[in-house]
Amino acid sequence: MKSDYDVIVIGAGPAGSIAARTTAQAGLATLLLEKRQEIGSPVRCGEAVGLETLVKFIQPDPKWISAEIDAFSLSNPQGDCLVVPPEEQTLMLERKIFDRELARLAAEAGAEVIVKARATGLIKKGPGIEGVRLNVQGQPREAHAKIVIGADGTESQSPRWAGLKSIPQLKDYYTAAQYLMTNIDVNPRICQYHIGWSLAPGGYCWVFPKGDKKANVGLVMWVDPKEKKTAIDYLNEFVAARFPDRSILSQIVGGIPVTNVLPEMAADGYMAVGDAAHQSDPLTAGGIGPSMCGGSLAGQVAVEAIKAGDVSAKFLKQYERMWDAQWGKSYRRLYRIRHALLKVPEDKLSHIIRQASLLDAQTLSLKDIALIVMKSYPQLMLEVIPYFLGQ
Amino acid sequence: MIDVAEAYVSVDYDHCSYCGACVAVCPPDCITLHDATLMIDTAACTLCRRCLPACPTGALSIVEADA
Repeated sequence: MKSDYDVIVIGAGPAGSIAARTTAQAGLATLLLEKRQEIGSPVRCGEAVGLETLVKFIQPDPKWISAEIDAFSLSNPQGDCLVVPPEEQTLMLERKIFDRELARLAAEAGAEVIVKARATGLIKKGPGIEGVRLNVQGQPREAHAKIVIGADGTESQSPRWAGLKSIPQLKDYYTAAQYLMTNIDVNPRICQYHIGWSLAPGGYCWVFPKGDKKANVGLVMWVDPKEKKTAIDYLNEFVAARFPDRSILSQIVGGIPVTNVLPEMAADGYMAVGDAAHQSDPLTAGGIGPSMCGGSLAGQVAVEAIKAGDVSAKFLKQYERMWDAQWGKSYRRLYRIRHALLKVPEDKLSHIIRQASLLDAQTLSLKDIALIVMKSYPQLMLEVIPYFLGQ
Repeated sequence: MIDVAEAYVSVDYDHCSYCGACVAVCPPDCITLHDATLMIDTAACTLCRRCLPACPTGALSIVEADA
């Protein structure tokens, strides 16, 4: 490790590795830090990703693909099931291998990658940032840079250090749990969503196949101080009822901000990307594709800023505008839809899914679903329609 | 009212998975996560309780010293 860089990226997940690759490719001296001893572990993800976004950054490789998905299913707690084709081709990843490959590509582009290197603070000078204070394998160190990119995940602290308002409201935060299970009989090409507040209050359960009778089985739920049961409790109930012969290969838990991104993602000499910037989809909390986009955009803006000799917040806010142009409209819509859905009682939601499941999935259109919703729970349409028309 | 000096957030390490779900929602930023250590700065903690329901495993609770 040197003491001076152009760009330091905190966190070697997809957002951080893409950011580091982007700046290194442009010839900037780039340091990519990973606090853990192993990049890609522990996996904290459902691992489904849309191909359209993915291929902008990396060509699909069988070594990090565990399944190809043909359809999504939407079920209610009674077992009625609506199967729909995905909006885009979808893959199930092997994140442990995928993340390591993205970091390798960053290194290949010229970035220096180090593990067991934890950022403990930002070195500030006036309003700006001069670098990062580190703990590298137990030793306190400092590394200087013109720009710091915070890709430190859901538990990130770097946005706060940079002065950004990054604490989500509890209504915009999912608490989550997932098992990697084996010995379960599921269609290996269908990603299942299970919706019902009794299964996952304010969220949903998923069963995402990973081949070889394996699947990621998980849930997200809202954070409610009055709730007596935890995410793990709800997940255990879900799997006990459905997968009696399961074995569990891994358990992960975590929190996911679903705020529709930070109000500000850039400060003087600093940009936040990925989960650190709350870039997960505010409805489903899917975040691999958007995070890679966030990393790429921040990387591009870092390159321009250093070329222009201007790393001020004013310059770096280009990144926020570029993000908004790509994702802003759909994220605002998804955020509204989630909050509208939360008001729908479980029996109405179940009824909507049941009615839709009775129609021919091949010809099912958004109009058909809208008609069912109009009949079952018109208030939902009234809440959602303005955002489809207006934005 | 709970007096800050008489109560604190306790971590049940049998349940904690070191995921950091609590770190993200802590307004005074008083929770620090290292590899397999979760530390709470009880002097900075305001006992706002936001971390309790955010924890996916229910590993956090308020302990009242007098109770």
